[in-house]
Amino acid sequence: MSLTLTCPICGERNGYEFRYGGEDKGPMPDSKELTPETWTDYVHNNNSVAGVQKEWWFHRDGCGTWFTLNRDTTTNLEVK
Amino acid sequence: MGECIRRSPVNFTAKPKRTENRGDWEVVLEYDDEKEGPFLIDLSHCPKWDLQDRDISSFTPFSIPIPEEPGGSVFDKGILINRMNKTQASIIHIAGDAADVPEGNSYTDTTDASVCMALTGKNIFYIAEKLSSLNFAGMKKEIPFLLQGRFSHVPCQTVVLERNGFSGTFLFSCSRGYAHDMVHAVFDAGEEFGLKPAGEKAFTGKFMPHH
Repeated sequence: MSLTLTCPICGERNGYEFRYGGEDKGPMPDSKELTPETWTDYVHNNNSVAGVQKEWWFHRDGCGTWFTLNRDTTTNLEVK
Repeated sequence: MGECIRRSPVNFTAKPKRTENRGDWEVVLEYDDEKEGPFLIDLSHCPKWDLQDRDISSFTPFSIPIPEEPGGSVFDKGILINRMNKTQASIIHIAGDAADVPEGNSYTDTTDASVCMALTGKNIFYIAEKLSSLNFAGMKKEIPFLLQGRFSHVPCQTVVLERNGFSGTFLFSCSRGYAHDMVHAVFDAGEEFGLKPAGEKAFTGKFMPHH
């Protein structure tokens, strides 16, 4: 089954209209206690969850909004 | 200094009956043998701006408030304003007297970068359904409203201006380079419904009858 995603502005649309923006890793690490290791971990390392993960998506062919949603990586379906 | 000529990216094969020089544009008001629609109308000469600002609600271009909700549109005194998302709106001056260009860093003139056309008349939403999965005819929103998505496979802004069943009027605009193929696709889809090209009067006569 093809992927459909729910844009907060445009509603449910074909997944081909969107650009994937990576895992939602939360806010950036605090700059005061930032080490090269923490920064590298934040930028480059992913959890690659086999299951439901929170992700960033961009509605490229629609309203141009960045938003987050949950997707099950084992079924490639949005989880609402 | 040489003469400046601006050309629409849209070329209809029909023969213009009445034209008008407007600024640097030659605008076709009416084509030969227009008779009854549905019609495809080129509005690429209409001035168009993008407005982008983090505090977009504080702007009132042409003294018209920006719609609060993304996807909302307002059509007033020939100016169409479409709220695209939290920070952006598009503005099209589609009818009426020439308007002053809005000033400020938040405005970008996109007239020469885009193509804008209108479909109007009977059965136009049947034509639209052949070209797009966007829900023009069934969307339960207050008219006018904005739909952003693929129309004939091209990312477009489409605005439904009037709707009566599967008849009505909607505008669509996209990047200028798609114009030739877009016109071809729309006429191909509209052939069974008798779609024909029309001049600007077929649009302004409906929405600005006293102009």
